[in-house]
Amino acid sequence: MKNRLKVLRAERDWTQADLAEALDVSRQTINAIEKGKFDPSLPLAFKAARLFAMPIEEIFDDEYEEG
Amino acid sequence: MNAMSTKPEKLAQRMKRSSKQLMIWTFGWVFSLAIVAFGPKFIWDFGSTFTLIAVTVNLIMGYKMIIANKNHLEDMDEMQRKIQFNAMAISLGVSMVFGALYGLVEAVKLFEHEPNPSNILFVMGISYGIAIFFGYRRYA
Repeated sequence: MKNRLKVLRAERDWTQADLAEALDVSRQTINAIEKGKFDPSLPLAFKAARLFAMPIEEIFDDEYEEG
Repeated sequence: MNAMSTKPEKLAQRMKRSSKQLMIWTFGWVFSLAIVAFGPKFIWDFGSTFTLIAVTVNLIMGYKMIIANKNHLEDMDEMQRKIQFNAMAISLGVSMVFGALYGLVEAVKLFEHEPNPSNILFVMGISYGIAIFFGYRRYA
């Protein structure tokens, strides 16, 4: 799953540790999500959406295309 | 980031607390197991009342350790839990395959010595540790 966490974080000048603290996860988890190695749960994705005050689909993209 | 700096490190604090609890109860369990193993012979001369007390204490310590481990897992974040979950699945599978085969090696005359069931614990621990290591590397 693609996401814009890294860009959004950089725009706010936040470190991975800052974002991890805000979302109550480890820095390693933020790193894995940003790299697309780990897909967050729905509650965590919503938490990120609330933090950035954005709709969830503007942060996460499941790359699914309807045929 | 002033808004965030006022928030406590919840995950870090939880992990520190639950790790400490797990360490204490694991130490208690190991110590009480040693008492069960060596107490009857070296301390109370196989008195069954004391042995039963030692066994009961060991079971209580074991229960507290299991609960502490469960709480420790619940305090992790979702990726850490996934790594633990995968490691437990691998460890359980490896232990089952090894344990079943290990029980047969003497019967089919591959080994001379009698299998010791506690060796399965070593296999379980080692496979769990390796799976955790590769789990964290996978998401690094």
